[in-house]
Amino acid sequence: MCEPNMALVEVQHVSKTYHDHVDVHALNDVTLSLGKGSFAAVTGPSGSGKTTLLNVLGGLDRPDAGRIQIAGVDLTATPADQLADFRLHHIGFVFQAFNLLPVLSVVENLEFIPALQGIKTEKRRQRARELLNVVGLAQISGKRPNDLSGGQQQRVAVLRAIMTEPELVLADEPTANLDSVNAALLLDMMEQLNHDKGVTFVFSTHDPQVMQRAHRLIRLKDGALIADELQGPGANAISI
Amino acid sequence: MLFFSMAWRNVWRNRRRSLLTVSAIALGLAFNIFMRGIGDGFHEQMVDNSVRAEIGHIQVHRSGYHDDPGLNRTLPDPEKVAQAIRSLPGVRGYSFRVLGNGLASTAENSSGVQILGVNPAEEQTVTTIQRAIIQGRYLANGMQRPILLGDRLAAHLNVSLDDKVVLMVQAADGSMGAQLFRVAGIFRSGYPEMDEGVAFTLRSDAQTLFGLGDRVSEVALLMDSSRQIPGVLETLKKDLTGESVEILPWWQVEPFLQQFIQIDDAFFYIIVLIFFVVISIGILNTLMMSIFERVREFGVMMALGTKPRQIIRLVVAEAFALGLVGIVAGTLIGSALTQYFARQGINLSSFSAGAAAVGITSSRVYSELTIANLFYSNLVVLAVVLLVALYPAVHAAGLRPVEAIRHV
Amino acid sequence: MHRRFSLKALAVGSVWVFLGVGAHTSLAQQPNADEIVRRSDDAVRGKTEEGNVTMTVKTPDWQRTLELRYWAVNPDKTFIRVTGPAKEAGTATLRLGSNMWNYLPSVERTIKIPPSLMLESWMGSDFTNDDLVRESSIVKDYDHRMDGETTESGDACYRVIASAKPDAPVVWGRIVLLVRKSDAIPRREEYYDGKGKLQKVLTLDEIRETNGRLYPMLWRMVSVNKPGHETLLRFTRLALDHLISNSIFTQENLRQPF
Repeated sequence: MCEPNMALVEVQHVSKTYHDHVDVHALNDVTLSLGKGSFAAVTGPSGSGKTTLLNVLGGLDRPDAGRIQIAGVDLTATPADQLADFRLHHIGFVFQAFNLLPVLSVVENLEFIPALQGIKTEKRRQRARELLNVVGLAQISGKRPNDLSGGQQQRVAVLRAIMTEPELVLADEPTANLDSVNAALLLDMMEQLNHDKGVTFVFSTHDPQVMQRAHRLIRLKDGALIADELQGPGANAISI
Repeated sequence: MLFFSMAWRNVWRNRRRSLLTVSAIALGLAFNIFMRGIGDGFHEQMVDNSVRAEIGHIQVHRSGYHDDPGLNRTLPDPEKVAQAIRSLPGVRGYSFRVLGNGLASTAENSSGVQILGVNPAEEQTVTTIQRAIIQGRYLANGMQRPILLGDRLAAHLNVSLDDKVVLMVQAADGSMGAQLFRVAGIFRSGYPEMDEGVAFTLRSDAQTLFGLGDRVSEVALLMDSSRQIPGVLETLKKDLTGESVEILPWWQVEPFLQQFIQIDDAFFYIIVLIFFVVISIGILNTLMMSIFERVREFGVMMALGTKPRQIIRLVVAEAFALGLVGIVAGTLIGSALTQYFARQGINLSSFSAGAAAVGITSSRVYSELTIANLFYSNLVVLAVVLLVALYPAVHAAGLRPVEAIRHV
Repeated sequence: MHRRFSLKALAVGSVWVFLGVGAHTSLAQQPNADEIVRRSDDAVRGKTEEGNVTMTVKTPDWQRTLELRYWAVNPDKTFIRVTGPAKEAGTATLRLGSNMWNYLPSVERTIKIPPSLMLESWMGSDFTNDDLVRESSIVKDYDHRMDGETTESGDACYRVIASAKPDAPVVWGRIVLLVRKSDAIPRREEYYDGKGKLQKVLTLDEIRETNGRLYPMLWRMVSVNKPGHETLLRFTRLALDHLISNSIFTQENLRQPF
């Protein structure tokens, strides 16, 4: 549990509307900030804007209004062709499912992002093995994703997300396809990484078990922020 | 390296589909190489037959003769030309000839002819009419004013062996010259123009008939291989600078032949084009399907920070891998086929009537494998594959990560 | 050449005067193109012709002169024999209708000239075999129109353009005639091929009185398409409309020593 002293993530009056058959106000004037070391869950009913919020935080999508700053970089002012680069170096992603590239082994999947960054084979392989050891998954290093259980896949996905130590890891409903045992295991690992290595996590969920584990809970409804509170052991610490 | 591993492994995710595509490429390429090989062999034979029938690989005349042949445009200084030729390497034979036009007549009929006065020993080192003789024999020094005619001409004049034919010409000084010749032999070359319009006599007899003294109209050369022609042209031009001669390779003497080959090649390229369009559709289909199956994956990759141009490179690399396997297989099969028929030949006797019209006097065609054939065939297939890959590649790179990730 | 090389001489012999068709007749005040052409055609022919001609052929490479003796019964019989020089003497050409034979004394053979060689030159001259064979068709195979007047070699002439009729079996597309106003004797004829390109020019000179009428004694055919090629025909003796025996125009006569 860290003492957030500088806002890692600044979201200021962000709105986004999808123009489908009808206009969908996915985000409606949302303002919040997150410090380094946060372990936050974003929750709300279906269609409340959870995924959209994560998408704009990660630079996968652009809000129609407002400003987003991550680690001092104004994402909303960053040109589209540079966003991919930003994501590569500063954001880690964990998706609900199908995270891993099926033709690569576990180790190779872990090596994917550092390879894109141009990090040499030896270095990146070493780090991959280190991480696998830390979480006790060394024995699956050579397996293909299809040979892993759902839980193992998600855990590997989290490891991949932190291979190059991004400022922020975004996880979109990471436990949605897991049973409660594996969900718990995944949250254990995430919490461990948050505690030991200070990895900042923001994850969306509608699972109460998962919500319980978060140190901060952000509630959305119809695209608007309706609650943003600390919870758990450090809930009384000062937050921004 | 990770990148190439990915590309390769992606290709074989759907083994059956990829093998099918690879087979299509391989068979298409093999077919292409083989057909080109037959074409090349066919053309080579055509040229060889034509060259050996009359024109030789290279001809030397007085300058301007080819454009405006005239009896008085005789070869200047034949001895110097002969010397230059004798010093060339790889000359299989050469023949100094007299050429002129005249009227061949018998009591029944008359016909315009081209008269070729040759020295039999020399001429046989260049041309092969002696092999086409169907009656009588080839000319020989010592015969009394012999004439050798094509079978069609003989039929038209209604002559057979030992009959007399009058050759009437306009001599070099303008006067009318006429002589009686005796039919020593009749040939069938398979070339209609030759069989109905050319008559061979001894060079000395032709010189007398045309009032040329010891002048000649041209010299024809035969090399060991047609590939020597450019080199020989160079050398001769150098050795004979100052002489007012023209030194012409066979394709300038008989451009029709070259043009026919070029038209034939053009047809071949059209067929190849059509064929590749069909193949492209197949490759495109395969690639599009494999892209479609991986939309979510591409979304994840791009979300993670893969740039669009890297996606393009990946897809193109996959296509390249497919193409490469197909090319290797296709080249092996195509080469094997071509080499086999280069030895065996293909029997064309069922088509031989038509074949004679374009100068194949044998009914077997032997294919020929050239480096150019392999090189260009492979190049084209590779280019097609890479080009075709661009559409799916750009399509994949244009996916929006947010939507792609959600793709079902 | 549209008219036969048989040299239909138009010396007005006694026959002509008798027939009252005089080439001296002046042309009418208002000239009609058809009439001019017909008159000019008549001006150089006779019912029969017989005489001696010296033919000189010039090319860039050589020049030669032949002495010829010829007989003609118009429109379809011609016989020409070379009388000099000795090397070619005895060569003879017989034409009956559209058939032609040459006799070659050196090989003692008579050969028939096939239709395919009709456009070849006769004896190396600028006249063709076809010129010998063709009946004069300038009148019936061409349409005529006046094209003004001009002076040619000092003579006032009419200019007539004869254009080949659409299906006429003729070699030329167009012939331009310059015809003397005074007596319709042609002075110059220009032969244009089907594409309108000038191929040959015939000039007729030395118009003298012979056999009681005026006749051009020097004919000069220049092949414009072959620079340096021309043929001169000079009539040294000419008899018109005398009786000629039919035995002249036989293949046996070809082989006769002269």
